[in-house]
Amino acid sequence: MNNEEKFTVPTATLTEKPDGYELRILVPGIGKKDAELHMDGKTLALKTHASYQNPAGFKQVNAEFERTNYALNAELPEMADPASLEAKLANGVLTVTVRKRAETQAKKIEIG
Amino acid sequence: MNTLINMDPWSILDTMLDVDSRIFRNMRAHAAGRFPPVNVFLDDDAVIIDMELPGKTAKDVNLTLEPQAVLIADSPAETVGEDGKPAAKGAPAWSRRIELPFRINAEKANAKFTDGILRVELPKAEAAGVRHIKIEG
Repeated sequence: MNNEEKFTVPTATLTEKPDGYELRILVPGIGKKDAELHMDGKTLALKTHASYQNPAGFKQVNAEFERTNYALNAELPEMADPASLEAKLANGVLTVTVRKRAETQAKKIEIG
Repeated sequence: MNTLINMDPWSILDTMLDVDSRIFRNMRAHAAGRFPPVNVFLDDDAVIIDMELPGKTAKDVNLTLEPQAVLIADSPAETVGEDGKPAAKGAPAWSRRIELPFRINAEKANAKFTDGILRVELPKAEAAGVRHIKIEG
């Protein structure tokens, strides 16, 4: 007997901005109460437990997606400051933003 | 040589796929472009269509009801022309037309987004009064 939960790696996009990074993770069917996010050193770990349900009493006649549990481990870039991490989950998209460490940010130098 | 068994391979396929073919033989999902995945559920009184659309909200999707079909399409963002007025909307990035096995009651239809999944509930229309026509002659 196999009671192991199955997890799927979600589609994710990492974008670099002048002062930080944005990680956009697609988790359709996942609400705030269904997602757990942990930081371990520089590794971000996401685990979700789907609450999407097929409607009760109905017969499924076309199936192209199913209730999915997502899991993702992502290492933050070297220049990221883990203490500045913020996460927002809306409409099935988890957006994680993290600032670059101050000492690594580009600095404009005035020419005297 | 005689044929041993007179069989229809399609009926076997239907059985294997566990599709209620009598009801749903006419239902086909037509798709254009890269389209989001769809689940369709049916009972005697309604059809429920679920579509995975992470990051989308009500303003991003167009829903058009036909008497016996539903068209779900991406709603392209309005662009502003050089004169500052909204320019014509572009073609939708994707659309799906789902034919239904019965006529629907558009007045009682409802659609709702939950965590990036769109659920459209379409109740079956009340059966129109049956009318017998007398054949003359």
